[in-house]
Amino acid sequence: MITAAETCDFINEVVCKPANVKELFEFGNFAGTQISRTEILILLAAIIPVLVVFFGLRKKSVVPGKLQSAVESIFTFVKDEIAIGVIGRGGEKFTPYLVSIFLFILVGNLFEVAPLINFPVTSRMALPLFLSLITYFIFVFVGIKEEGFGYISHLVWPPGVPVALKPLVGVIELVSVLLVRPFSLAVRLFANLVAGHVMLSLLLASAYFFLVQPGGADYILSKAPIGLAWFTLGLGIYGFELIVSILQAYIFTLLSAVYIQTSLHPEH
Amino acid sequence: MEAAYALIGYGLAAIGPGVGIGLIAGNAVQAMARQPEAAGMVRTTMFLGIAFTEALALIGFVLFFLV
Repeated sequence: MITAAETCDFINEVVCKPANVKELFEFGNFAGTQISRTEILILLAAIIPVLVVFFGLRKKSVVPGKLQSAVESIFTFVKDEIAIGVIGRGGEKFTPYLVSIFLFILVGNLFEVAPLINFPVTSRMALPLFLSLITYFIFVFVGIKEEGFGYISHLVWPPGVPVALKPLVGVIELVSVLLVRPFSLAVRLFANLVAGHVMLSLLLASAYFFLVQPGGADYILSKAPIGLAWFTLGLGIYGFELIVSILQAYIFTLLSAVYIQTSLHPEH
Repeated sequence: MEAAYALIGYGLAAIGPGVGIGLIAGNAVQAMARQPEAAGMVRTTMFLGIAFTEALALIGFVLFFLV
Protein backbone atom coordinates (compact mmCIF):
# COMPACT_ATOMS: atom_id res chain seq x y z
CA MET A 1 0.00 0.00 0.00
CA ILE A 2 2.64 2.43 1.04
CA THR A 3 5.48 1.29 -1.21
CA ALA A 4 6.28 3.35 -4.25
CA ALA A 5 5.02 0.93 -6.83
CA GLU A 6 5.02 2.91 -10.05
CA THR A 7 4.39 1.32 -13.36
CA CYS A 8 7.60 0.87 -15.27
CA ASP A 9 8.53 -1.00 -18.43
CA PHE A 10 11.50 -2.96 -17.14
CA ILE A 11 12.25 -4.71 -20.40
CA ASN A 12 12.46 -1.84 -22.86
CA GLU A 13 13.44 1.02 -20.57
CA VAL A 14 16.98 0.88 -19.27
CA VAL A 15 16.47 3.36 -16.46
CA CYS A 16 13.11 3.68 -14.76
CA LYS A 17 13.09 7.37 -13.91
CA PRO A 18 10.35 9.54 -12.45
CA ALA A 19 8.64 12.09 -14.67
CA ASN A 20 10.97 14.80 -13.40
CA VAL A 21 12.97 15.67 -10.33
CA LYS A 22 10.36 18.22 -9.23
CA GLU A 23 8.35 15.19 -8.13
CA LEU A 24 10.45 15.40 -4.96
CA PHE A 25 8.81 18.68 -4.06
CA GLU A 26 5.23 17.83 -4.99
CA PHE A 27 2.46 15.96 -3.28
CA GLY A 28 0.61 13.51 -5.46
CA ASN A 29 -2.70 11.78 -5.16
CA PHE A 30 -3.04 8.41 -3.50
CA ALA A 31 -5.47 5.74 -4.68
CA GLY A 32 -7.85 8.21 -6.25
CA THR A 33 -8.24 10.36 -3.14
CA GLN A 34 -6.72 13.72 -2.35
CA ILE A 35 -4.56 12.12 0.35
CA SER A 36 -1.00 11.39 -0.71
CA ARG A 37 1.37 8.72 0.52
CA THR A 38 3.44 11.43 2.20
CA GLU A 39 0.48 12.71 4.19
CA ILE A 40 -0.34 9.23 5.50
CA LEU A 41 3.28 8.77 6.52
CA ILE A 42 3.38 12.19 8.21
CA LEU A 43 0.29 11.21 10.18
CA LEU A 44 1.96 7.90 11.12
CA ALA A 45 5.12 9.75 12.17
CA ALA A 46 2.99 11.89 14.45
CA ILE A 47 0.96 9.01 15.88
CA ILE A 48 3.76 6.49 16.51
CA PRO A 49 5.72 8.64 19.04
CA VAL A 50 2.48 9.53 20.84
CA LEU A 51 1.55 5.86 21.14
CA VAL A 52 5.04 4.82 22.22
CA VAL A 53 5.23 7.51 24.89
CA PHE A 54 1.65 6.84 26.03
CA PHE A 55 2.11 3.10 26.43
CA GLY A 56 5.62 3.53 27.78
CA LEU A 57 4.58 5.85 30.58
CA ARG A 58 1.07 4.52 31.25
CA LYS A 59 2.06 2.56 34.36
CA LYS A 60 4.79 4.53 36.06
CA SER A 61 6.43 1.67 37.92
CA VAL A 62 9.53 2.17 40.03
CA VAL A 63 11.27 -0.71 38.28
CA PRO A 64 10.67 0.24 34.63
CA GLY A 65 9.85 -2.28 31.96
CA LYS A 66 11.57 -2.40 28.58
CA LEU A 67 9.40 0.20 26.84
CA GLN A 68 9.29 2.49 29.85
CA SER A 69 13.06 2.49 30.29
CA ALA A 70 13.53 3.17 26.56
CA VAL A 71 11.16 6.15 26.64
CA GLU A 72 12.71 7.40 29.86
CA SER A 73 16.24 7.12 28.51
CA ILE A 74 15.30 9.09 25.37
CA PHE A 75 13.61 11.70 27.51
CA THR A 76 16.50 12.06 29.94
CA PHE A 77 18.99 12.09 27.06
CA VAL A 78 17.24 15.02 25.39
CA LYS A 79 16.70 16.77 28.71
CA ASP A 80 20.21 16.39 30.11
CA GLU A 81 22.35 16.47 26.98
CA ILE A 82 20.42 18.94 24.84
CA ALA A 83 18.01 21.03 26.92
CA ILE A 84 20.15 21.54 30.01
CA GLY A 85 23.53 20.74 28.48
CA VAL A 86 23.23 23.23 25.63
CA ILE A 87 20.67 25.81 26.70
CA GLY A 88 21.76 25.78 30.35
CA ARG A 89 19.84 27.88 32.86
CA GLY A 90 16.17 28.05 31.90
CA GLY A 91 16.49 25.19 29.43
CA GLU A 92 14.12 22.76 31.17
CA LYS A 93 11.00 24.46 29.89
CA PHE A 94 12.03 23.75 26.28
CA THR A 95 12.36 20.02 26.96
CA PRO A 96 8.82 19.11 25.77
CA TYR A 97 9.34 20.90 22.46
CA LEU A 98 12.77 19.36 21.93
CA VAL A 99 11.58 15.84 22.79
CA SER A 100 8.60 16.23 20.45
CA ILE A 101 10.61 17.32 17.42
CA PHE A 102 13.29 14.74 18.19
CA LEU A 103 10.81 11.86 18.24
CA PHE A 104 8.87 13.15 15.24
CA ILE A 105 11.95 13.63 13.06
CA LEU A 106 13.40 10.33 14.29
CA VAL A 107 10.34 8.36 13.22
CA GLY A 108 10.07 10.34 9.97
CA ASN A 109 13.71 9.62 9.18
CA LEU A 110 13.52 5.97 10.14
CA PHE A 111 10.83 5.46 7.50
CA GLU A 112 13.76 5.68 5.09
CA VAL A 113 15.18 2.37 6.28
CA ALA A 114 11.90 0.77 7.35
CA PRO A 115 11.24 -2.20 5.08
CA LEU A 116 8.29 -1.84 2.68
CA ILE A 117 8.05 1.90 3.30
CA ASN A 118 11.54 3.09 2.33
CA PHE A 119 10.53 6.69 2.07
CA PRO A 120 11.67 9.36 4.53
CA VAL A 121 8.87 11.90 4.97
CA THR A 122 11.44 14.52 5.93
CA SER A 123 12.75 14.40 2.37
CA ARG A 124 9.78 16.54 1.32
CA MET A 125 10.87 20.14 1.71
CA ALA A 126 7.56 21.17 3.31
CA LEU A 127 8.17 19.22 6.51
CA PRO A 128 11.73 20.32 7.43
CA LEU A 129 10.85 23.87 6.42
CA PHE A 130 7.81 23.87 8.67
CA LEU A 131 9.76 22.42 11.61
CA SER A 132 12.59 24.90 11.16
CA LEU A 133 10.07 27.77 10.98
CA ILE A 134 8.66 26.68 14.36
CA THR A 135 12.17 26.79 15.81
CA TYR A 136 12.70 30.15 14.11
CA PHE A 137 9.59 31.68 15.66
CA ILE A 138 10.52 30.24 19.06
CA PHE A 139 14.02 31.67 19.10
CA VAL A 140 12.97 35.07 17.76
CA PHE A 141 10.13 35.18 20.31
CA VAL A 142 12.47 34.18 23.15
CA GLY A 143 14.99 36.80 22.07
CA ILE A 144 12.39 39.57 21.94
CA LYS A 145 10.96 38.43 25.28
CA GLU A 146 14.40 38.48 26.89
CA GLU A 147 15.73 41.73 25.49
CA GLY A 148 12.76 43.53 24.03
CA PHE A 149 13.63 45.73 21.08
CA GLY A 150 17.28 45.24 22.03
CA TYR A 151 17.25 41.85 20.29
CA ILE A 152 16.84 43.41 16.86
CA SER A 153 19.04 46.40 17.60
CA HIS A 154 21.84 44.16 18.87
CA LEU A 155 21.67 42.26 15.61
CA VAL A 156 21.80 45.39 13.45
CA TRP A 157 24.24 47.31 15.65
CA PRO A 158 26.25 44.64 17.50
CA PRO A 159 27.90 45.67 20.78
CA GLY A 160 31.58 44.98 21.38
CA VAL A 161 32.62 45.59 17.76
CA PRO A 162 34.72 48.58 16.55
CA VAL A 163 32.46 51.36 15.25
CA ALA A 164 33.94 51.26 11.76
CA LEU A 165 33.02 47.59 11.40
CA LYS A 166 29.57 47.80 12.96
CA PRO A 167 27.52 48.28 9.75
CA LEU A 168 29.28 45.39 8.02
CA VAL A 169 29.06 42.99 10.96
CA GLY A 170 25.45 44.09 11.53
CA VAL A 171 24.40 43.20 8.00
CA ILE A 172 26.17 39.85 8.20
CA GLU A 173 24.62 39.08 11.59
CA LEU A 174 21.15 40.09 10.49
CA VAL A 175 21.25 37.95 7.35
CA SER A 176 22.86 34.97 9.05
CA VAL A 177 20.50 34.94 12.03
CA LEU A 178 17.21 35.81 10.38
CA LEU A 179 17.60 34.25 6.92
CA VAL A 180 20.39 31.68 6.77
CA ARG A 181 19.58 29.97 10.09
CA PRO A 182 16.09 28.68 9.29
CA PHE A 183 17.04 27.96 5.70
CA SER A 184 20.15 25.95 6.53
CA LEU A 185 18.37 24.13 9.35
CA ALA A 186 15.69 22.97 6.92
CA VAL A 187 18.03 22.25 4.02
CA ARG A 188 20.39 20.20 6.21
CA LEU A 189 17.69 17.73 7.17
CA PHE A 190 16.06 17.72 3.73
CA ALA A 191 19.23 17.27 1.68
CA ASN A 192 20.68 14.57 3.92
CA LEU A 193 17.55 12.50 3.62
CA VAL A 194 17.14 13.10 -0.13
CA ALA A 195 20.77 12.17 -0.73
CA GLY A 196 20.39 8.98 1.28
CA HIS A 197 17.15 8.07 -0.42
CA VAL A 198 18.55 8.66 -3.92
CA MET A 199 21.70 6.70 -3.10
CA LEU A 200 19.77 3.74 -1.71
CA SER A 201 17.35 3.75 -4.64
CA LEU A 202 20.16 3.87 -7.20
CA LEU A 203 22.19 1.08 -5.63
CA LEU A 204 19.32 -1.28 -4.90
CA ALA A 205 17.64 -0.57 -8.24
CA SER A 206 20.83 -1.33 -10.16
CA ALA A 207 21.23 -4.51 -8.13
CA TYR A 208 17.67 -5.41 -9.10
CA PHE A 209 18.29 -4.70 -12.78
CA PHE A 210 21.45 -6.79 -12.87
CA LEU A 211 20.05 -9.71 -10.89
CA VAL A 212 16.49 -9.86 -12.21
CA GLN A 213 16.64 -9.37 -15.92
CA PRO A 214 15.38 -10.95 -19.12
CA GLY A 215 17.68 -13.06 -21.25
CA GLY A 216 19.26 -16.48 -21.29
CA ALA A 217 21.11 -18.20 -18.46
CA ASP A 218 24.53 -17.18 -19.80
CA TYR A 219 23.51 -13.56 -19.91
CA ILE A 220 22.23 -13.62 -16.34
CA LEU A 221 25.32 -15.43 -15.05
CA SER A 222 27.60 -12.89 -16.68
CA LYS A 223 25.79 -9.97 -15.06
CA ALA A 224 24.94 -11.50 -11.69
CA PRO A 225 28.31 -10.74 -10.00
CA ILE A 226 27.88 -7.05 -10.80
CA GLY A 227 24.42 -7.11 -9.33
CA LEU A 228 25.66 -8.90 -6.25
CA ALA A 229 28.36 -6.26 -5.77
CA TRP A 230 25.81 -3.46 -6.02
CA PHE A 231 23.54 -5.30 -3.61
CA THR A 232 26.33 -5.68 -1.04
CA LEU A 233 27.21 -2.01 -1.35
CA GLY A 234 23.54 -1.12 -1.06
CA LEU A 235 23.22 -3.11 2.17
CA GLY A 236 26.29 -1.33 3.55
CA ILE A 237 24.75 2.05 2.70
CA TYR A 238 21.54 0.82 4.33
CA GLY A 239 23.32 0.53 7.67
CA PHE A 240 24.98 3.88 7.12
CA GLU A 241 21.62 5.49 6.43
CA LEU A 242 20.28 4.08 9.69
CA ILE A 243 23.01 5.99 11.52
CA VAL A 244 22.42 9.11 9.43
CA SER A 245 18.69 9.05 10.21
CA ILE A 246 19.28 9.01 13.95
CA LEU A 247 22.12 11.52 13.73
CA GLN A 248 20.10 14.00 11.70
CA ALA A 249 17.24 13.92 14.20
CA TYR A 250 19.80 14.56 16.94
CA ILE A 251 21.49 17.37 14.99
CA PHE A 252 18.20 19.11 14.21
CA THR A 253 17.25 19.05 17.90
CA LEU A 254 20.74 20.11 18.95
CA LEU A 255 20.80 23.07 16.56
CA SER A 256 17.32 24.15 17.62
CA ALA A 257 18.61 24.17 21.20
CA VAL A 258 21.72 26.13 20.19
CA TYR A 259 19.64 28.76 18.41
CA ILE A 260 17.31 29.09 21.40
CA GLN A 261 20.35 29.36 23.65
CA THR A 262 21.85 32.26 21.66
CA SER A 263 18.57 34.12 22.09
CA LEU A 264 18.17 33.23 25.76
CA HIS A 265 21.71 34.06 26.88
CA PRO A 266 22.97 36.66 24.38
CA GLU A 267 26.10 37.42 26.45
CA HIS A 268 27.74 34.16 25.33
CA MET B 1 24.91 20.11 -20.73
CA GLU B 2 23.43 22.19 -17.91
CA ALA B 3 23.29 19.09 -15.77
CA ALA B 4 26.99 18.51 -16.39
CA TYR B 5 27.80 22.05 -15.24
CA ALA B 6 25.62 21.51 -12.16
CA LEU B 7 27.46 18.29 -11.44
CA ILE B 8 30.82 20.07 -11.62
CA GLY B 9 29.43 22.78 -9.37
CA TYR B 10 28.34 20.23 -6.80
CA GLY B 11 31.75 18.60 -6.91
CA LEU B 12 33.43 21.95 -6.31
CA ALA B 13 31.01 22.72 -3.49
CA ALA B 14 31.92 19.47 -1.78
CA ILE B 15 35.68 20.11 -1.65
CA GLY B 16 35.73 22.72 1.10
CA PRO B 17 33.28 21.01 3.46
CA GLY B 18 35.10 17.71 2.91
CA VAL B 19 38.37 19.24 4.10
CA GLY B 20 36.54 21.01 6.91
CA ILE B 21 34.78 17.91 8.23
CA GLY B 22 38.05 16.02 8.08
CA LEU B 23 39.77 18.71 10.17
CA ILE B 24 36.92 18.80 12.69
CA ALA B 25 36.74 15.04 13.14
CA GLY B 26 40.52 14.65 13.28
CA ASN B 27 40.93 17.35 15.89
CA ALA B 28 37.99 15.98 17.89
CA VAL B 29 39.63 12.55 17.98
CA GLN B 30 42.86 14.17 19.10
CA ALA B 31 41.05 16.10 21.82
CA MET B 32 39.24 12.97 23.02
CA ALA B 33 42.52 11.02 23.10
CA ARG B 34 44.24 13.73 25.11
CA GLN B 35 41.41 14.21 27.56
CA PRO B 36 39.03 11.23 27.58
CA GLU B 37 36.94 12.69 30.44
CA ALA B 38 35.90 15.58 28.17
CA ALA B 39 34.79 13.21 25.41
CA GLY B 40 31.06 13.90 25.80
CA MET B 41 31.45 17.65 25.45
CA VAL B 42 33.88 17.29 22.56
CA ARG B 43 31.49 14.95 20.76
CA THR B 44 28.57 17.38 21.02
CA THR B 45 30.72 20.23 19.77
CA MET B 46 32.07 18.03 16.97
CA PHE B 47 28.56 17.23 15.74
CA LEU B 48 27.69 20.92 15.86
CA GLY B 49 30.77 21.83 13.83
CA ILE B 50 30.13 19.05 11.34
CA ALA B 51 26.51 20.16 10.96
CA PHE B 52 27.51 23.75 10.24
CA THR B 53 30.24 22.77 7.79
CA GLU B 54 28.13 20.17 6.04
CA ALA B 55 25.46 22.75 5.25
CA LEU B 56 27.63 24.22 2.49
CA ALA B 57 27.96 20.90 0.70
CA LEU B 58 24.26 20.25 1.10
CA ILE B 59 23.34 23.62 -0.39
CA GLY B 60 25.49 22.66 -3.37
CA PHE B 61 23.64 19.35 -3.55
CA VAL B 62 20.24 21.08 -3.55
CA LEU B 63 21.32 23.57 -6.19
CA PHE B 64 22.41 20.65 -8.34
CA PHE B 65 18.81 19.46 -8.31
CA LEU B 66 17.31 22.89 -8.87
CA VAL B 67 19.26 23.59 -12.07
